[in-house]
Amino acid sequence: MSARPVVVDKRPGRGANPMQSAVHWALLGLVIERPSYGYELAQRFEHAYAGMLQLSGVSYVYTALDTLQYRSMIEEIPGTRTGRQPKPRYRATSEGVRSYQERLIAQMHEDLRRSRLFARQLAAFAQEPEMALDVIERYGQACLEEAGETPVLASADGGASPASGLASRLVSEERRLALEARLPWIDYARREFKALAAGRMQP
Amino acid sequence: MSLLQLEHVSKCYGRVSERVALRDVSLRMEPGEMVVVWGMRRSGRSTLLRIASGVETPDAGVVRFEGRDLYARHGERLGDGIGYCRRTFASSEGQLVLDHLIIGLLARGLALPQAAGRARAALERVGIGYCAALRPAQLDCAEAVRAAIARALTFAPKLLLIDEPTIGVDLLARDGILTLLRSLAQEGIAILASTGESPSLSGGRALMLSEGELHGGRPRELATVVPLRRSA
Repeated sequence: MSARPVVVDKRPGRGANPMQSAVHWALLGLVIERPSYGYELAQRFEHAYAGMLQLSGVSYVYTALDTLQYRSMIEEIPGTRTGRQPKPRYRATSEGVRSYQERLIAQMHEDLRRSRLFARQLAAFAQEPEMALDVIERYGQACLEEAGETPVLASADGGASPASGLASRLVSEERRLALEARLPWIDYARREFKALAAGRMQP
Repeated sequence: MSLLQLEHVSKCYGRVSERVALRDVSLRMEPGEMVVVWGMRRSGRSTLLRIASGVETPDAGVVRFEGRDLYARHGERLGDGIGYCRRTFASSEGQLVLDHLIIGLLARGLALPQAAGRARAALERVGIGYCAALRPAQLDCAEAVRAAIARALTFAPKLLLIDEPTIGVDLLARDGILTLLRSLAQEGIAILASTGESPSLSGGRALMLSEGELHGGRPRELATVVPLRRSA
Protein backbone atom coordinates (compact mmCIF):
# COMPACT_ATOMS: atom_id res chain seq x y z
CA MET A 1 0.00 0.00 0.00
CA SER A 2 1.51 3.30 -1.04
CA ALA A 3 1.78 6.16 1.44
CA ARG A 4 -0.74 8.92 1.09
CA PRO A 5 0.91 11.92 -0.59
CA VAL A 6 1.33 14.99 1.59
CA VAL A 7 -0.63 17.84 0.12
CA VAL A 8 0.50 21.30 1.09
CA ASP A 9 -2.34 23.73 0.83
CA LYS A 10 -0.90 27.07 -0.19
CA ARG A 11 -4.14 28.98 -0.26
CA PRO A 12 -4.22 31.98 2.07
CA GLY A 13 -5.63 31.14 5.47
CA ARG A 14 -4.78 27.45 5.19
CA GLY A 15 -1.72 25.27 5.36
CA ALA A 16 1.19 25.88 7.67
CA ASN A 17 0.15 29.23 9.06
CA PRO A 18 -3.35 28.91 10.49
CA MET A 19 -5.02 31.96 11.95
CA GLN A 20 -4.74 31.81 15.74
CA SER A 21 -6.42 34.97 16.98
CA ALA A 22 -9.76 34.24 18.67
CA VAL A 23 -10.77 37.84 17.95
CA HIS A 24 -10.16 37.37 14.22
CA TRP A 25 -12.29 34.23 14.20
CA ALA A 26 -15.03 35.96 16.17
CA LEU A 27 -15.05 38.85 13.70
CA LEU A 28 -15.24 36.39 10.83
CA GLY A 29 -18.26 34.82 12.53
CA LEU A 30 -19.95 38.20 12.79
CA VAL A 31 -19.37 38.85 9.08
CA ILE A 32 -20.83 35.40 8.32
CA GLU A 33 -23.90 36.30 10.40
CA ARG A 34 -24.39 39.54 8.54
CA PRO A 35 -22.24 41.67 6.18
CA SER A 36 -21.02 44.78 8.02
CA TYR A 37 -18.59 47.69 7.85
CA GLY A 38 -15.74 48.24 10.30
CA TYR A 39 -17.27 50.42 13.00
CA GLU A 40 -20.52 48.46 12.99
CA LEU A 41 -18.52 45.27 13.45
CA ALA A 42 -16.74 46.75 16.45
CA GLN A 43 -20.10 47.57 18.03
CA ARG A 44 -21.55 44.15 17.26
CA PHE A 45 -18.41 42.54 18.66
CA GLU A 46 -18.73 44.39 21.98
CA HIS A 47 -22.35 43.28 22.26
CA ALA A 48 -21.93 39.68 21.13
CA TYR A 49 -18.74 38.79 22.97
CA ALA A 50 -19.08 40.79 26.17
CA GLY A 51 -17.34 38.93 28.95
CA MET A 52 -15.78 36.46 26.54
CA LEU A 53 -13.44 38.38 24.23
CA GLN A 54 -12.18 41.94 24.25
CA LEU A 55 -11.04 44.26 21.46
CA SER A 56 -7.90 46.24 22.17
CA GLY A 57 -9.53 49.13 20.31
CA VAL A 58 -11.87 49.89 17.44
CA SER A 59 -8.91 50.30 15.10
CA TYR A 60 -8.02 46.67 15.70
CA VAL A 61 -11.12 45.70 13.73
CA TYR A 62 -9.62 47.27 10.61
CA THR A 63 -6.38 45.36 11.11
CA ALA A 64 -8.36 42.15 11.52
CA LEU A 65 -10.44 42.90 8.42
CA ASP A 66 -7.24 43.36 6.42
CA THR A 67 -5.99 39.99 7.65
CA LEU A 68 -9.28 38.24 6.87
CA GLN A 69 -9.32 39.80 3.42
CA TYR A 70 -5.69 38.83 2.79
CA ARG A 71 -6.57 35.25 3.71
CA SER A 72 -9.53 35.34 1.27
CA MET A 73 -11.99 34.70 4.10
CA ILE A 74 -13.93 37.88 3.47
CA GLU A 75 -14.35 40.22 0.56
CA GLU A 76 -15.49 43.79 0.08
CA ILE A 77 -18.99 44.09 -1.33
CA PRO A 78 -18.65 46.00 -4.62
CA GLY A 79 -20.23 49.43 -4.67
CA THR A 80 -20.20 50.02 -0.89
CA ARG A 81 -17.15 52.30 -0.92
CA THR A 82 -19.07 55.39 -1.99
CA GLY A 83 -20.06 58.80 -0.61
CA ARG A 84 -18.14 61.36 1.44
CA GLN A 85 -17.44 58.87 4.20
CA PRO A 86 -17.11 55.54 2.44
CA LYS A 87 -18.05 52.57 4.57
CA PRO A 88 -16.92 49.48 2.71
CA ARG A 89 -19.00 46.51 3.78
CA TYR A 90 -17.56 43.04 3.96
CA ARG A 91 -19.10 39.63 3.40
CA ALA A 92 -17.73 36.17 3.97
CA THR A 93 -16.38 34.12 1.11
CA SER A 94 -17.18 30.41 0.78
CA GLU A 95 -13.56 29.86 1.81
CA GLY A 96 -14.17 31.90 4.96
CA VAL A 97 -17.34 30.00 5.86
CA ARG A 98 -15.62 26.63 5.41
CA SER A 99 -12.59 27.72 7.46
CA TYR A 100 -14.88 28.97 10.20
CA GLN A 101 -16.68 25.63 10.31
CA GLU A 102 -13.36 23.77 10.53
CA ARG A 103 -12.23 26.11 13.28
CA LEU A 104 -15.34 25.33 15.35
CA ILE A 105 -14.78 21.59 14.99
CA ALA A 106 -11.14 21.93 16.02
CA GLN A 107 -12.09 24.15 18.95
CA MET A 108 -14.62 21.60 20.16
CA HIS A 109 -11.89 18.94 20.33
CA GLU A 110 -9.61 21.42 22.09
CA ASP A 111 -12.25 22.16 24.73
CA LEU A 112 -12.74 18.46 25.43
CA ARG A 113 -8.99 17.95 25.62
CA ARG A 114 -8.65 20.88 28.03
CA SER A 115 -11.23 19.35 30.39
CA ARG A 116 -9.37 16.05 30.42
CA LEU A 117 -6.11 17.88 30.96
CA PHE A 118 -7.50 19.71 34.00
CA ALA A 119 -8.70 16.45 35.54
CA ARG A 120 -5.37 14.78 34.91
CA GLN A 121 -3.38 17.68 36.31
CA LEU A 122 -5.53 17.78 39.43
CA ALA A 123 -4.62 14.15 40.06
CA ALA A 124 -1.04 15.31 40.62
CA PHE A 125 -2.23 16.34 44.11
CA ALA A 126 -2.92 12.74 45.15
CA GLN A 127 -0.27 13.16 47.86
CA GLU A 128 -1.48 16.66 48.76
CA PRO A 129 -5.27 16.29 48.82
CA GLU A 130 -5.85 19.51 50.78
CA MET A 131 -4.33 21.49 47.93
CA ALA A 132 -6.56 19.71 45.44
CA LEU A 133 -9.56 20.51 47.65
CA ASP A 134 -8.61 24.20 47.54
CA VAL A 135 -8.57 24.06 43.73
CA ILE A 136 -11.89 22.19 43.66
CA GLU A 137 -13.43 24.73 46.04
CA ARG A 138 -12.49 27.56 43.69
CA TYR A 139 -13.61 25.64 40.63
CA GLY A 140 -16.95 25.01 42.31
CA GLN A 141 -17.24 28.66 43.29
CA ALA A 142 -16.55 29.77 39.71
CA CYS A 143 -19.14 27.32 38.36
CA LEU A 144 -21.77 28.44 40.88
CA GLU A 145 -21.14 32.10 40.05
CA GLU A 146 -21.45 31.29 36.36
CA ALA A 147 -24.69 29.40 37.05
CA GLY A 148 -26.16 32.25 39.05
CA GLU A 149 -25.27 34.79 36.37
CA THR A 150 -26.82 32.81 33.52
CA PRO A 151 -29.97 34.67 32.50
CA VAL A 152 -33.34 33.05 32.94
CA LEU A 153 -35.78 32.77 30.07
CA ALA A 154 -33.21 32.58 27.31
CA SER A 155 -34.71 29.35 26.01
CA ALA A 156 -38.21 30.79 26.00
CA ASP A 157 -37.17 34.03 24.35
CA GLY A 158 -38.17 33.02 20.88
CA GLY A 159 -38.28 36.48 19.34
CA ALA A 160 -39.76 37.33 15.99
CA SER A 161 -38.03 34.57 14.03
CA PRO A 162 -36.24 31.32 14.85
CA ALA A 163 -32.90 33.08 14.30
CA SER A 164 -33.83 35.97 16.55
CA GLY A 165 -32.03 35.63 19.87
CA LEU A 166 -30.47 32.37 18.69
CA ALA A 167 -26.96 33.30 19.85
CA SER A 168 -28.06 34.20 23.38
CA ARG A 169 -30.22 31.06 23.63
CA LEU A 170 -27.39 28.81 22.46
CA VAL A 171 -24.83 30.45 24.77
CA SER A 172 -27.22 30.31 27.73
CA GLU A 173 -28.15 26.66 27.29
CA GLU A 174 -24.52 25.69 26.66
CA ARG A 175 -23.53 27.31 29.96
CA ARG A 176 -26.36 25.70 31.85
CA LEU A 177 -25.91 22.20 30.43
CA ALA A 178 -22.13 22.27 30.76
CA LEU A 179 -22.65 23.06 34.44
CA GLU A 180 -25.09 20.17 34.62
CA ALA A 181 -22.08 17.93 34.04
CA ARG A 182 -19.46 19.93 35.93
CA LEU A 183 -21.19 20.23 39.29
CA PRO A 184 -21.58 16.46 39.79
CA TRP A 185 -17.95 16.05 38.72
CA ILE A 186 -16.87 18.63 41.31
CA ASP A 187 -18.92 16.79 43.93
CA TYR A 188 -17.27 13.53 42.90
CA ALA A 189 -13.73 14.94 42.86
CA ARG A 190 -14.27 16.51 46.28
CA ARG A 191 -15.30 13.12 47.69
CA GLU A 192 -12.25 11.44 46.18
CA PHE A 193 -9.79 13.93 47.65
CA LYS A 194 -11.59 14.09 51.00
CA ALA A 195 -11.29 10.33 51.22
CA LEU A 196 -7.57 10.61 50.47
CA ALA A 197 -7.17 13.33 53.09
CA ALA A 198 -9.11 11.29 55.67
CA GLY A 199 -7.02 8.20 54.92
CA ARG A 200 -3.81 10.10 55.46
CA MET A 201 -4.98 11.48 58.79
CA GLN A 202 -5.51 7.98 60.17
CA PRO A 203 -2.54 6.64 62.15
CA MET B 1 -30.45 41.53 61.18
CA SER B 2 -30.92 38.97 58.41
CA LEU B 3 -34.32 37.58 57.51
CA LEU B 4 -33.07 34.01 57.84
CA GLN B 5 -29.92 32.97 59.58
CA LEU B 6 -28.60 29.46 60.04
CA GLU B 7 -25.62 29.19 62.37
CA HIS B 8 -23.55 26.02 62.48
CA VAL B 9 -26.52 23.79 61.86
CA SER B 10 -25.99 20.02 61.90
CA LYS B 11 -28.39 17.14 61.48
CA CYS B 12 -27.94 13.37 61.51
CA TYR B 13 -30.36 10.56 60.76
CA GLY B 14 -30.42 6.93 61.80
CA ARG B 15 -29.43 5.12 64.95
CA VAL B 16 -27.42 2.16 63.72
CA SER B 17 -25.56 3.66 60.76
CA GLU B 18 -25.68 7.37 61.37
CA ARG B 19 -25.93 9.47 58.23
CA VAL B 20 -24.89 13.09 58.37
CA ALA B 21 -27.46 15.17 56.46
CA LEU B 22 -26.08 18.60 57.38
CA ARG B 23 -22.69 19.39 58.79
CA ASP B 24 -21.96 22.78 60.36
CA VAL B 25 -24.04 24.71 57.83
CA SER B 26 -24.22 28.48 58.09
CA LEU B 27 -26.31 30.64 55.77
CA ARG B 28 -27.78 34.13 55.81
CA MET B 29 -30.59 35.40 53.63
CA GLU B 30 -31.93 38.90 53.20
CA PRO B 31 -35.41 40.00 52.07
CA GLY B 32 -35.82 39.76 48.30
CA GLU B 33 -32.86 37.45 47.89
CA MET B 34 -33.07 34.25 45.86
CA VAL B 35 -30.77 31.45 46.93
CA VAL B 36 -30.70 28.14 45.09
CA VAL B 37 -28.87 25.19 46.62
CA TRP B 38 -27.66 22.51 44.24
CA GLY B 39 -26.87 19.04 45.45
CA MET B 40 -26.85 15.40 44.44
CA ARG B 41 -29.40 13.01 45.92
CA ARG B 42 -28.92 12.55 49.67
CA SER B 43 -26.69 15.61 49.82
CA GLY B 44 -28.90 17.14 52.52
CA ARG B 45 -30.68 19.74 50.38
CA SER B 46 -34.22 18.75 51.44
CA THR B 47 -33.16 18.58 55.07
CA LEU B 48 -31.78 22.09 54.76
CA LEU B 49 -35.15 23.38 53.57
CA ARG B 50 -37.11 21.53 56.23
CA ILE B 51 -34.88 22.90 58.96
CA ALA B 52 -34.99 26.42 57.52
CA SER B 53 -38.78 26.21 57.49
CA GLY B 54 -39.08 25.01 61.05
CA VAL B 55 -40.61 21.69 60.03
CA GLU B 56 -37.62 19.82 61.40
CA THR B 57 -35.32 20.57 64.33
CA PRO B 58 -31.54 20.56 63.94
CA ASP B 59 -29.36 18.43 66.21
CA ALA B 60 -27.03 21.36 66.70
CA GLY B 61 -26.89 25.01 65.73
CA VAL B 62 -29.41 27.81 65.63
CA VAL B 63 -31.97 28.91 63.03
CA ARG B 64 -33.18 32.49 63.32
CA PHE B 65 -36.06 34.01 61.40
CA GLU B 66 -36.28 37.79 61.71
CA GLY B 67 -33.80 37.54 64.55
CA ARG B 68 -35.82 35.09 66.62
CA ASP B 69 -34.86 31.50 67.28
CA LEU B 70 -37.20 29.46 65.08
CA TYR B 71 -37.39 26.60 67.55
CA ALA B 72 -38.14 28.79 70.52
CA ARG B 73 -41.33 30.14 68.89
CA HIS B 74 -43.65 28.27 71.20
CA GLY B 75 -47.22 28.22 69.95
CA GLU B 76 -46.45 30.15 66.76
CA ARG B 77 -47.38 28.72 63.40
CA LEU B 78 -45.07 27.91 60.53
CA GLY B 79 -47.11 30.01 58.14
CA ASP B 80 -46.25 33.19 60.03
CA GLY B 81 -43.77 34.60 57.58
CA ILE B 82 -42.45 31.32 56.20
CA GLY B 83 -44.10 29.54 53.30
CA TYR B 84 -43.13 25.98 52.44
CA CYS B 85 -44.26 24.80 49.01
CA ARG B 86 -45.65 21.29 49.07
CA ARG B 87 -46.27 19.81 45.63
CA THR B 88 -48.68 17.17 46.91
CA PHE B 89 -52.39 17.84 47.18
CA ALA B 90 -54.12 15.53 49.66
CA SER B 91 -57.61 14.55 48.55
CA SER B 92 -58.83 15.16 52.09
CA GLU B 93 -58.14 18.88 51.65
CA GLY B 94 -60.57 19.37 48.82
CA GLN B 95 -61.45 18.43 45.29
CA LEU B 96 -60.52 21.48 43.27
CA VAL B 97 -57.28 23.43 43.16
CA LEU B 98 -59.08 26.43 44.64
CA ASP B 99 -60.30 24.30 47.56
CA HIS B 100 -56.72 23.36 48.39
CA LEU B 101 -55.76 27.01 48.63
CA ILE B 102 -58.83 28.01 50.60
CA ILE B 103 -58.77 25.36 53.29
CA GLY B 104 -55.63 26.60 55.01
CA LEU B 105 -57.03 30.12 55.13
CA LEU B 106 -60.33 28.91 56.58
CA ALA B 107 -58.39 27.05 59.25
CA ARG B 108 -56.89 30.39 60.23
CA GLY B 109 -60.25 31.94 60.71
CA LEU B 110 -60.76 33.77 57.43
CA ALA B 111 -64.33 33.97 56.16
CA LEU B 112 -65.01 32.03 52.98
CA PRO B 113 -65.39 35.06 50.66
CA GLN B 114 -62.10 36.56 51.82
CA ALA B 115 -60.33 33.19 51.64
CA ALA B 116 -61.65 32.54 48.14
CA GLY B 117 -60.63 36.01 47.01
CA ARG B 118 -57.13 35.62 48.36
CA ALA B 119 -56.78 32.16 46.83
CA ARG B 120 -57.91 33.35 43.41
CA ALA B 121 -55.51 36.28 43.59
CA ALA B 122 -52.63 33.93 44.41
CA LEU B 123 -53.48 31.68 41.46
CA GLU B 124 -53.61 34.72 39.17
CA ARG B 125 -50.30 35.93 40.57
CA VAL B 126 -48.54 32.70 39.59
CA GLY B 127 -50.19 32.67 36.17
CA ILE B 128 -52.67 29.81 36.55
CA GLY B 129 -55.93 31.56 37.36
CA TYR B 130 -57.54 29.26 34.80
CA CYS B 131 -56.72 26.23 36.96
CA ALA B 132 -58.90 27.22 39.93
CA ALA B 133 -61.73 24.88 38.98
CA LEU B 134 -59.51 21.97 37.93
CA ARG B 135 -58.64 18.97 40.05
CA PRO B 136 -54.96 18.71 41.09
CA ALA B 137 -54.64 15.49 39.06
CA GLN B 138 -55.54 17.48 35.94
CA LEU B 139 -52.58 19.84 36.33
CA ASP B 140 -49.41 19.31 34.37
CA CYS B 141 -46.08 19.34 36.18
CA ALA B 142 -45.43 23.06 35.78
CA GLU B 143 -48.98 23.98 36.80
CA ALA B 144 -48.68 21.79 39.90
CA VAL B 145 -45.53 23.69 40.90
CA ARG B 146 -47.26 27.02 40.34
CA ALA B 147 -50.26 25.84 42.36
CA ALA B 148 -47.94 24.84 45.20
CA ILE B 149 -46.35 28.28 45.10
CA ALA B 150 -49.78 29.90 45.04
CA ARG B 151 -50.85 27.90 48.10
CA ALA B 152 -47.81 29.16 50.00
CA LEU B 153 -48.42 32.74 48.78
CA THR B 154 -51.91 32.85 50.26
CA PHE B 155 -50.22 33.30 53.66
CA ALA B 156 -48.19 36.27 52.40
CA PRO B 157 -44.82 34.80 53.36
CA LYS B 158 -41.61 36.79 53.72
CA LEU B 159 -39.62 33.65 53.04
CA LEU B 160 -40.65 31.03 50.50
CA LEU B 161 -39.04 27.59 50.53
CA ILE B 162 -39.37 25.27 47.59
CA ASP B 163 -37.82 21.87 47.04
CA GLU B 164 -36.86 21.08 43.44
CA PRO B 165 -39.16 23.57 41.74
CA THR B 166 -38.28 22.45 38.22
CA ILE B 167 -37.97 18.70 38.53
CA GLY B 168 -39.97 16.98 35.81
CA VAL B 169 -40.77 20.31 34.17
CA ASP B 170 -39.93 20.75 30.49
CA LEU B 171 -37.38 23.29 29.28
CA LEU B 172 -39.63 26.22 28.42
CA ALA B 173 -41.87 25.78 31.46
CA ARG B 174 -38.75 25.57 33.63
CA ASP B 175 -37.68 29.06 32.63
CA GLY B 176 -41.19 30.30 33.31
CA ILE B 177 -41.06 28.98 36.87
CA LEU B 178 -37.60 30.45 37.46
CA THR B 179 -38.83 33.78 36.16
CA LEU B 180 -41.82 33.60 38.51
CA LEU B 181 -39.55 32.91 41.49
CA ARG B 182 -37.29 35.79 40.44
CA SER B 183 -40.26 38.13 40.20
CA LEU B 184 -41.44 37.11 43.67
CA ALA B 185 -37.95 37.86 44.97
CA GLN B 186 -38.06 41.26 43.28
CA GLU B 187 -41.27 41.93 45.20
CA GLY B 188 -39.31 41.38 48.41
CA ILE B 189 -40.00 37.72 49.18
CA ALA B 190 -36.83 35.80 49.97
CA ILE B 191 -36.69 32.51 48.03
CA LEU B 192 -34.73 29.48 49.19
CA ALA B 193 -34.90 26.65 46.65
CA SER B 194 -33.11 23.36 46.32
CA THR B 195 -32.33 21.62 43.06
CA GLY B 196 -30.49 18.73 41.53
CA GLU B 197 -30.51 20.42 38.14
CA SER B 198 -27.91 23.08 37.59
CA PRO B 199 -29.96 25.04 35.00
CA SER B 200 -32.28 25.94 37.89
CA LEU B 201 -29.45 27.89 39.51
CA SER B 202 -29.89 30.69 36.97
CA GLY B 203 -30.60 34.11 38.30
CA GLY B 204 -29.98 33.51 41.98
CA ARG B 205 -27.19 33.10 44.50
CA ALA B 206 -26.03 29.58 43.80
CA LEU B 207 -24.69 27.31 46.53
CA MET B 208 -23.73 23.66 46.59
CA LEU B 209 -24.37 20.99 49.21
CA SER B 210 -21.98 18.08 49.24
CA GLU B 211 -22.21 15.37 51.90
CA GLY B 212 -24.04 17.80 54.16
CA GLU B 213 -21.48 20.59 53.78
CA LEU B 214 -22.49 23.88 52.17
CA HIS B 215 -20.11 25.29 49.57
CA GLY B 216 -20.18 28.39 47.47
CA GLY B 217 -19.41 31.15 49.91
CA ARG B 218 -16.12 32.95 49.65
CA PRO B 219 -13.42 30.25 49.54
CA ARG B 220 -10.89 30.25 52.32
CA GLU B 221 -7.54 31.83 51.56
CA LEU B 222 -4.91 29.61 50.08
CA ALA B 223 -2.23 28.75 52.55
CA THR B 224 0.85 30.87 51.90
CA VAL B 225 3.23 28.17 53.02
CA VAL B 226 2.23 24.62 52.31
CA PRO B 227 4.65 22.03 53.57
CA LEU B 228 4.81 19.33 50.94
CA ARG B 229 4.72 15.80 52.22
CA ARG B 230 6.81 13.66 50.00
CA SER B 231 7.57 10.03 50.60
CA ALA B 232 11.22 9.32 50.43
